[in-house]
Amino acid sequence: MKISRRPLAANVPSMAMGDIAFNLLIFFVILAKATDDSHLQWDPAETTDVTRAGAAKVSIVIDAESKYYLNGQQVGIAQLAPQIEQILGGSTGDDRRVLLKVHRNATANHFEPIIEAVSEAGGTIMHVLEEKRN
Amino acid sequence: MKVRRKCKLLVEPPSSATGDIAFNLIVFFLVCASIQPDSGRSQEIPKSEENQEQKEEVENIEVALTGNLNTISLNGDTVRTSELRGRLTQLLKAKTRPQDKIVIVKSKIDTPYHHWIDVTTEIEQSGGQITIQREEQQTIQVQ
Repeated sequence: MKISRRPLAANVPSMAMGDIAFNLLIFFVILAKATDDSHLQWDPAETTDVTRAGAAKVSIVIDAESKYYLNGQQVGIAQLAPQIEQILGGSTGDDRRVLLKVHRNATANHFEPIIEAVSEAGGTIMHVLEEKRN
Repeated sequence: MKVRRKCKLLVEPPSSATGDIAFNLIVFFLVCASIQPDSGRSQEIPKSEENQEQKEEVENIEVALTGNLNTISLNGDTVRTSELRGRLTQLLKAKTRPQDKIVIVKSKIDTPYHHWIDVTTEIEQSGGQITIQREEQQTIQVQ
């Protein structure tokens, strides 16, 4: 005689639903907020009167080793202006904002071509800086 | 006689969930602490023109920067960085047209970014409009 096994019910306990939803919420908040260039090493310069930079389609980083990154991807200076222009497309107003994250000790021969490339592409430069504390 | 039964329920979270609660709280505060919005300063720099010859005779102010953080050159004169704003405000006071308020910033290749930011902040706060003039590289063939 065959005795059939009683099927086991595999249900997610309803008690844990709140925890699961909370964890998912945090996960998506991190995904939405964290930029692709968060792993790059650079120290911001300091200044007085800083404003909130806000979100931008384009973010350029010059790291401590004076390498260029466009939205987290390493690029050469020659490719920068056309790529910025392509990303910005037909955007207008605040959507043309370009975040410039330059290491405080980067020299003019590295950051000036970037500023020129952004202005060539018709972007509005937003220098990402730290507020000077006296 | 009716005797009312006292029904006092003990409401306390199950002790097995304290680990989960603690973990969620840690994650929550970690996220709050790590996400700081970027702050900075916006700057509008006009597009460069290949032909720098100006149609009108406009004498723009020139600021030259070097690796020396204490001094800069203002129209050829060496000025202390701390005195820049006062000198610039004086120079710009006489200028009324927007095109006259353009300040040309020339930087030597060894000028650090933080110094450039300090000087351009001073220029903007004095009422000047920044434009960059880069050193051009030319190849001259000698026959």
